[in-house]
Amino acid sequence: MTRREMLKRMLQLGGAAVAAIVGLPALILSLAPLRGQRQAVWRKIGNLSAFPVGGVQKSSVPLPHPDWAEALIDQGVYVWRPNPSEVVVYSRSCTDLGCPLNWDPGGEVFLCPCHGGIFAKDGERMAGPPKHPMLRYQTRIREGQLEIDLRSVPPEA
Amino acid sequence: MSKWRQWLEDRFGWLPFKRSFLDRRVGKTPWYYGDGSTLLLLLGVLVMTGPFLSLGYAPTPDQAYQSILDITRQPLGWFVRALHYWAAGLMVVMLFFHLLRQIWVGGYKFPREGTWLIGVAMFFIVLTMSLLGYSLRWDERAVYGIKVALYHFAQVPLIGNALTLFVQGGPELGVRTLTRFYAAHVAFGPLALLALAGFHLYLVVVHGVTSRSEQDRPIHTTQEQKELHHAIKQHPEQSEPFFPDAMAKSGAMALTIFGVVVALALILRNRPLYPEANLVLASEPAEEWWWSWYSALIALLPPNVATWFYWVFPLTLFVVLVALPFADRSPYRGYRKRPIAAAVVVIAAIALVSLTALRQLSPWGGWPNAEPPPVPAGFELAPEVEEGRLLFAQYGCTSCHQVAGWGPPRVGTDLARMEERYSAQELRHYILRPPDGVAMPPYEGRMSESELRRIVAFVLVAQTFPRSEEGP
Repeated sequence: MTRREMLKRMLQLGGAAVAAIVGLPALILSLAPLRGQRQAVWRKIGNLSAFPVGGVQKSSVPLPHPDWAEALIDQGVYVWRPNPSEVVVYSRSCTDLGCPLNWDPGGEVFLCPCHGGIFAKDGERMAGPPKHPMLRYQTRIREGQLEIDLRSVPPEA
Repeated sequence: MSKWRQWLEDRFGWLPFKRSFLDRRVGKTPWYYGDGSTLLLLLGVLVMTGPFLSLGYAPTPDQAYQSILDITRQPLGWFVRALHYWAAGLMVVMLFFHLLRQIWVGGYKFPREGTWLIGVAMFFIVLTMSLLGYSLRWDERAVYGIKVALYHFAQVPLIGNALTLFVQGGPELGVRTLTRFYAAHVAFGPLALLALAGFHLYLVVVHGVTSRSEQDRPIHTTQEQKELHHAIKQHPEQSEPFFPDAMAKSGAMALTIFGVVVALALILRNRPLYPEANLVLASEPAEEWWWSWYSALIALLPPNVATWFYWVFPLTLFVVLVALPFADRSPYRGYRKRPIAAAVVVIAAIALVSLTALRQLSPWGGWPNAEPPPVPAGFELAPEVEEGRLLFAQYGCTSCHQVAGWGPPRVGTDLARMEERYSAQELRHYILRPPDGVAMPPYEGRMSESELRRIVAFVLVAQTFPRSEEGP
């Protein structure tokens, strides 16, 4: 190897080393949100007796957020109590593209305002582009309080 | 050269640039080849207005929305916002024009593959920026725009969940989402675009544009193209100086479009904000107008197609555009001998325009509405019919059905505009058990016999309401 070839090789290696030392930590930093999202986050929705049997009611739950955040810290959900012993908590996101569903008490349907998705009271698709039924949160009752696991639906919902 | 000019030349080296760039001769082109210059000017407007908007913007969910209202209240704040908004919208329009024109003339053909590939990268970056930009407004339209984007990423097989977390900045939409979108919009995006635009322009200077003379004859090899390109530049009639002749032509188009941006900014002003971002209130979100074609397209998708379309469509578009110059090796440029390319461009242009129009008239979906429809002048309703009118609203019929043009167009038929009139018996049956494939809930078991009778009585009368286009 000549001196000049050696110099070329060293310049290439030097450039690659600088790129790696700067680029890899930056890349790892940007991937931080992928870590540790699996543990359940249970949130109280309200007293179970506050939700009438047979009805659908809108409710909101606090989201996990940094201490200093004040806005966008609540999320709307729909609670359906088909019978006294059963309760369903729906994500408000349409399963097509995440638009916010509206409960229509007269027609007893969930209407999507974006592309015409319609869901029945039991969350099954009735019309429009959605393919899947409405998403349901994991629920549990603790001391008469209805609770949901926020992490039981996908992160985009 | 004067002493002073010599001094300046020795220190700033202007002449080599002037000789090789401004004084060079280029093949003659029609006026609409100014679309590239137009995009450059619009990019310049965005790059100029952006930093000044960021002087007042606070990228946190607590303050983003308020800070935009604050920018709007500052002297000429509304105008800088309006310029940024309208330049962005027209940039998307011009981008589609530029892309389709290149397919039309065969601008991606050898040896311009590199120019094309960089252009394809910029195409996707600009489209991304056009969504990121209005996400920063942090109103309801912003958060649901972000959600729609996330739902696209979530559909990608295997890595969908990771992509969603990466883009959203965590398992919930919140402060880390906004900071990411902000960083992408004001740092990563502009840096990438400026670098790529510079490279793109450098290659345009190296290879020239697909001039008229190149479209007259078949060109089989890169060498042949280079020789022809060289000959065109030397030809006194087929070429012209870049400055001022060619630049004046493309500059005229760029300035015209810039004039449109300024006119829109003055007439329609800045984009009004929707209610502040929240995930609780009822909202009727819609995309910005330059995405309307896409929104209409997905509204028409059947459910079996929709879920995979969201990642297959962008990916296919990317792969097809990247592969295009390597797949199409025919010796012809221009549209005359390239019927498929010409057809694709015409169909794409028609599709973009008609889907956009369709979206503006979109009758998709319903919206909860318990207000009874008005009775047209001159109609006296019998008591039973009047009770039916109130029940009609109470059972949510007005959420989806217009009555004689009253209310915005919704998914259901306007009862005064039904193609065939139904009898009482048919209506009863329809309401209790709508036919398969009709987006209407069955009311069987929910309505008493007398309620049903009253609603049917009202619908029978409503069918005869005047079908005025303006409504009652």
